[in-house]
Amino acid sequence: MTKIQINGREVEADPKQPLIRACHDQGVDVPMYCYHPGLAPVGSCRICQVEVAAAPGQPSRVVAACRTPVSEGMVVSTDTPKAHDTRRECLEFLLKNHPLDCPICDKAGECDLQDYSFNEGQGKGRSSEPRRKLEKRKSLGDVIVLDEERCILCSRCVRFFTDVTKKAQLTVEGLGSRSVINTYMDKPLEGNYQGNLADICPVGALTSKKFRFQARVWNLSKTLSTCGECSRGCSISVEALRAKEVKRLRPRYNAAVNQWWMCDTGRHALAPLTRPLAPEGAVLGGRLRGAAVRGYNGLELADDVAALDLAADMLAAHPGAAVIVSPFATQEEAKAALALAQALKATPQFVSPAPNGLKDDLLHTGDPCPNRRGLVEQGFTALEPAAALAALAAAPAAVLAGERVLEFLGHEGLAKLPTKLRLVAFDVETSDIPALDVVFPVPTHVEKSGHWVNVDGHVGVLNVAVPPPSGVRRLDAQLAALAAKLAATPARS
Amino acid sequence: MKDFPKYLLNRVGLPQSHTLATYRAEGGYRAIEDVLKKPWTPEQVIGVMKDSGLRGRGGAGFPTGMKWSFMPDITKDPRPRYLAVNADESEPGTCKDRVLMEKDPHGLIEGCLIACFAMRAKAAYIYVRGEYRLSYNRLQAAIDEARAAGLVGKNILGTDFSCDIWMHKGAGAYICGEETGLMESLEGKRGHPRPKPPFPAGSGLWKSPTTVNNVESIFNAPFIVRNGAEWFKSMGVPKSTGNFLLGISGHVNKPGVYELPFGLTARQIIDEVAGGVWKGRKLKAFFPGGSSTGLLPASMVDVVMDHDSVKAAGSMFGTAAMIILDETASIPQVMDVTARFYDHESCGQCSQCREGTQWLHQIFRRIAHGKGQMSDLDLLVSLSNGMAPAKTICALADAAAIPTLAAVKHFRHEFEECIRLGRDPLRNESQHAPELHEAHA
Repeated sequence: MTKIQINGREVEADPKQPLIRACHDQGVDVPMYCYHPGLAPVGSCRICQVEVAAAPGQPSRVVAACRTPVSEGMVVSTDTPKAHDTRRECLEFLLKNHPLDCPICDKAGECDLQDYSFNEGQGKGRSSEPRRKLEKRKSLGDVIVLDEERCILCSRCVRFFTDVTKKAQLTVEGLGSRSVINTYMDKPLEGNYQGNLADICPVGALTSKKFRFQARVWNLSKTLSTCGECSRGCSISVEALRAKEVKRLRPRYNAAVNQWWMCDTGRHALAPLTRPLAPEGAVLGGRLRGAAVRGYNGLELADDVAALDLAADMLAAHPGAAVIVSPFATQEEAKAALALAQALKATPQFVSPAPNGLKDDLLHTGDPCPNRRGLVEQGFTALEPAAALAALAAAPAAVLAGERVLEFLGHEGLAKLPTKLRLVAFDVETSDIPALDVVFPVPTHVEKSGHWVNVDGHVGVLNVAVPPPSGVRRLDAQLAALAAKLAATPARS
Repeated sequence: MKDFPKYLLNRVGLPQSHTLATYRAEGGYRAIEDVLKKPWTPEQVIGVMKDSGLRGRGGAGFPTGMKWSFMPDITKDPRPRYLAVNADESEPGTCKDRVLMEKDPHGLIEGCLIACFAMRAKAAYIYVRGEYRLSYNRLQAAIDEARAAGLVGKNILGTDFSCDIWMHKGAGAYICGEETGLMESLEGKRGHPRPKPPFPAGSGLWKSPTTVNNVESIFNAPFIVRNGAEWFKSMGVPKSTGNFLLGISGHVNKPGVYELPFGLTARQIIDEVAGGVWKGRKLKAFFPGGSSTGLLPASMVDVVMDHDSVKAAGSMFGTAAMIILDETASIPQVMDVTARFYDHESCGQCSQCREGTQWLHQIFRRIAHGKGQMSDLDLLVSLSNGMAPAKTICALADAAAIPTLAAVKHFRHEFEECIRLGRDPLRNESQHAPELHEAHA
């Protein structure tokens, strides 16, 4: 470590990192546009200029912090009039041709240019020249749309493809003030990581087609969570409009798992999190509103306690039940399922769908089981959907538990199960499965807290981002209640 | 003007001066022969270059020998090393290297060999401005000729010294004449200058130690090696030694490229070398070293033309490309044209340069077309101070800002008059005057 002085404070800095990192590590705010910790620095936007002297008392000069290595004894000042002036000048140039359409810009509220203009900029522009007129909505493929007027040519997006995915797709086209970002030969962008461009773009030039005009970002609540689309378990932020409706999933920095990135499959997996409720009084056609039991007219909504009694009775009357959980089951749910399996003398198992072919070199593992490693470590056995259905067909009774467990087993296969099977399920939604006797609603993984263990053994945290529908209880509590009820029910048969 | 010894252009007037036969007949390739067969050590070559006091002729005036000595020690750093010769002569007003490449290409080749020997470089790359077709063809023919004669390639002159020389054509971008932009372009990328550090001597072409030299600097090397540092120092002034090539253009009677010693005044050069201001008119202003150097008014015509004196006068010696403006020239129009060049040629990486060069051009253009405001002049100064000095990756922003500051400083009254009258009193309507809002392609 190298000893340097930042704003009068003696600190230690990593000599392998540029000066801007040392400043950020110390909580000293230095603005940046072209610099991104995950990309090779180019030092082109010049907004990160700070005043630096080689040693105390030495003459100082203004340098770009992202391209300046730290050196022993260096004296850095970010807050001097000279540093502020240089940055303000730079900002004025950046704003010269910027359209200032913040009121209709998706980035407003989380835009670096807006933030630093507010902090450092002057209230009045000095340019009376016409602003550049360029393409306002240029499609760059299925995921991203480019607004050339807003672009400040920081080239982060260009470097994302060269540095991160290692396949160049974007470039700067033209020279000087005529420069624009474009794909090679106007081809649409491809690959599973395009969504990251909207995150790293420091302004509103690259926006997500899916999120465009969906919400103003200051109305979004942000909750730390983990992505469930594969066993990588990328750290994400679940962003919900007024803490109710999930609008956007974004990666959250995690050095050990996904760094700054996530794939588009995970980013766009909003459908399972925003399923509408079933119509009032109905069981099918949407998320379960409450427990349901099979009556004369098929599945009917029922009282929770009565349904639990019925489930316990059935399981007590038909020993030898199978216990199969969802690959989305959290560690806590798995623990409760394990206790239930012990009470039923069953082998704990989980549905393990086949790899989905999305595996790549960057993040996606291709394995759709976010908690595979955690479940295996707790003693669960992986079971292919076909094998699970065969086991169910042969079993007298079964408990299927966890978010989307029925979906992973396959509704078609489940529908063919013999009706003599006594089937108890816990899921977010169900279809009309003839064998299904009792079904309880569960929260999705953005509606509960818990933990998943990813493919490398890192623990991913789940938090409550949006409240579950009223009356939907945690799965682990429901499984524990069922186990308790079972213990209190005398064995028959 | 008293007589002075000449050496740079001695072969240029000879018939078939670009051929190996003529070059040999004039004592060509003796310097490299001497270096290889005596033999000299690379350190000795660098030593004599340092002692000669030769300052780079590409604009910055950095001592060439010193630059060569920055290459890392071969015993500690085994990476291959390269020489890149900057022949991307595109500064408005500069036209000196072209003469050397077209008329005396073997002189440059011999210079490359000496430089490569001194820096232990395995190859030299000559980056020629794309528009210089004849230079390119002549140089390529000369390299082929030299290669056939065993002067380029493996085991030169039967010694164990091997060195290749390759040519590369630019594609018309001024920025590729900036040394790091040139290296990017040579590597096949966009000519975006690289931030320094790392400097080329540490990490240049293909991340290997590289030295980038101007054509004329390299061309001087064989003369210095053959005649010694003392001979070289006997010419010029103490801190700017040797002769230089002056390219003089604009409103003079005899524009052209001349070989001159350092130490003449601008007045001497204009009147005695270039035959005086044309049409019997008076001098108004001159760029001492190309359009990137600050404009000087006629009152400063007695400035001595060497690196330090021109700098003291508030401008730069640059590439010694003097552009002379007579009393009928309109400074707002001159600046409109100059600013348009930098707006067009900025690479677009740095915010200040990309937006600033365009902004300066827009303002100058309005003033030259009679649509300026008095506040524009202070804005020009303020913007230029925001762009320079050394606030960007390369010096293109400085090159746009420095002439702006100089023009506003020395000719403020002329801009003010344009603004007051709402038209340029010196505008010659018969000249091509692009429309105010014409979009530049």
